[in-house]
Amino acid sequence: MKQSSLYKILFLVIVVLPVASGLVYALLFSLGIIGVLKQGFNVDAWQVVLFNKPFWSSIGYSLYIALVSVGMSLSIALSIALSWQKQLQKGFLSNAIYLPLCFPATVMAFFGFHLLSKSGLLSRMSFNLGLSQDINSFPLLIKDSLGMGIIFTSILLITPFFIILFASLYQNEKIPSFVNLAKTFGATNRQILRKVIIPILLKRSATTIYLFIIFVMGSYEVPLLLGRQNPQMISVAVLQKIQRFNLYDMPQGYAMSLLYVLLILLILVVLYLNNNRLFNHQNQ
Amino acid sequence: MFKKVLQYLFISSIGFPLVFLLLLSLSRSWQFPAIWPQQLSFANWEFLQKSNAQLFQTFFLSLGISLLVAVTVTVLAFFISKEIAYSKRKSTYLFLTYIPYLLSPVIMAVIFQYYFILTHLSGTFLGVALAQFLIAFPYGVLIYINFWNKQINELEALSYTLGANKWQTLKKVLLPLSKNALILCFFQVFLISWFEYGLTNLIGTGKIKTLTVSVFNFINEANIFYAALACCLLVVPPMILLYINKRYIFIKR
Repeated sequence: MKQSSLYKILFLVIVVLPVASGLVYALLFSLGIIGVLKQGFNVDAWQVVLFNKPFWSSIGYSLYIALVSVGMSLSIALSIALSWQKQLQKGFLSNAIYLPLCFPATVMAFFGFHLLSKSGLLSRMSFNLGLSQDINSFPLLIKDSLGMGIIFTSILLITPFFIILFASLYQNEKIPSFVNLAKTFGATNRQILRKVIIPILLKRSATTIYLFIIFVMGSYEVPLLLGRQNPQMISVAVLQKIQRFNLYDMPQGYAMSLLYVLLILLILVVLYLNNNRLFNHQNQ
Repeated sequence: MFKKVLQYLFISSIGFPLVFLLLLSLSRSWQFPAIWPQQLSFANWEFLQKSNAQLFQTFFLSLGISLLVAVTVTVLAFFISKEIAYSKRKSTYLFLTYIPYLLSPVIMAVIFQYYFILTHLSGTFLGVALAQFLIAFPYGVLIYINFWNKQINELEALSYTLGANKWQTLKKVLLPLSKNALILCFFQVFLISWFEYGLTNLIGTGKIKTLTVSVFNFINEANIFYAALACCLLVVPPMILLYINKRYIFIKR
């Protein structure tokens, strides 16, 4: 066999086969054809997942968390990257900004828990400053319905990445030259920011931003520790269905995971059809 | 002045989680409303090795899995990504690569867990390493894909024209040129494996106790001091990689 064919077969075995075979198993299990239950062909699980609230509220909640986290991260990262350009290129901050990238989601979630919980650091500070009377009068910042703890921790995790990205794009995209040009044409600082700098940075990083929205939607460790039972983010909801003691929930778990994969596929197809940069890496 | 103060505040907030976790790992008590953890000593660090938890063994187990995954992905993805990059159906291959890349690892684990149980790989070191390899491989391919450009292709062709064989071209041309991509892929994949929890816990069925699994075990046991200690150990290798990266690779560039 030619070496080239061997590598292509290896690619299919490593990348395509696990997902494809997994999807087949998930489909058959969710339809009751295989698995520990083997109830015979039925669409009960699909009916529950498609027509009841939990799955759609999980997807909606995950999307809400992802959009708010990425949106707030972008605003913070843009402000920092633009205000401290010089410091981010040279000096202590240029090195220190890489430090948060060393923190896994597990560690950040643990830190977030002990910072924001009712017995956490903020609650203790507020008590000592006389702002709260006791442990219970401190507001609920984790396991809350708005997902503030999850959003806060996600922001901590992704903002440093966006700061580094914007700081490097600022130089690579020759934005200082565009700024000078705009100034020559008489643009004000506000106009330069709104019409030149931000559009260039956001356009160049659009693909990365889409990817981050999808990554945050699928995050698991942070909502596992800081989220509540209802609503749940999609990864946590699926895992709970699969691992729960009630075996009859498992087909729903598989149906949910299958739908989630289909959703990601749909997003990819849309990006693919729009000729997104993801698929057009130039061989220059 | 205000800008300077803000900067110092920002820099301190970057280091704060690490200081906080270190303090918590050195503490034996943190009762409300004390602001800082109390009874600081090295007792937790000493006790862990003596107890059944054996966190240092866990550390080396995690290190072993991550190194194995990182080396395998770095080598295999190097050759396979080359085929994809120069293929006529490159965008189709990339589309297929993005599917596992974008899926949440824990959902991936859910859908292929059955096959791991079937092959008795579930709950084994090899099973966890293989599962992590499957989710990290697409990252490897996507890291290399921009490296295989027209210039590299032409240099390779030139090397053959000048009489070099495949091995010589790989050793003398491709590997030196791809050094940065290789290092980037190794670091990135190592971190993906090192940071992974959901998939490791599901495929490892709790038997393969990596550091991230230990953190959650300690949290479930409500032992926040040991959990903080495990968190500190989790941050050490990425910091070493970061140091090596900044000190040696960026400077050489």
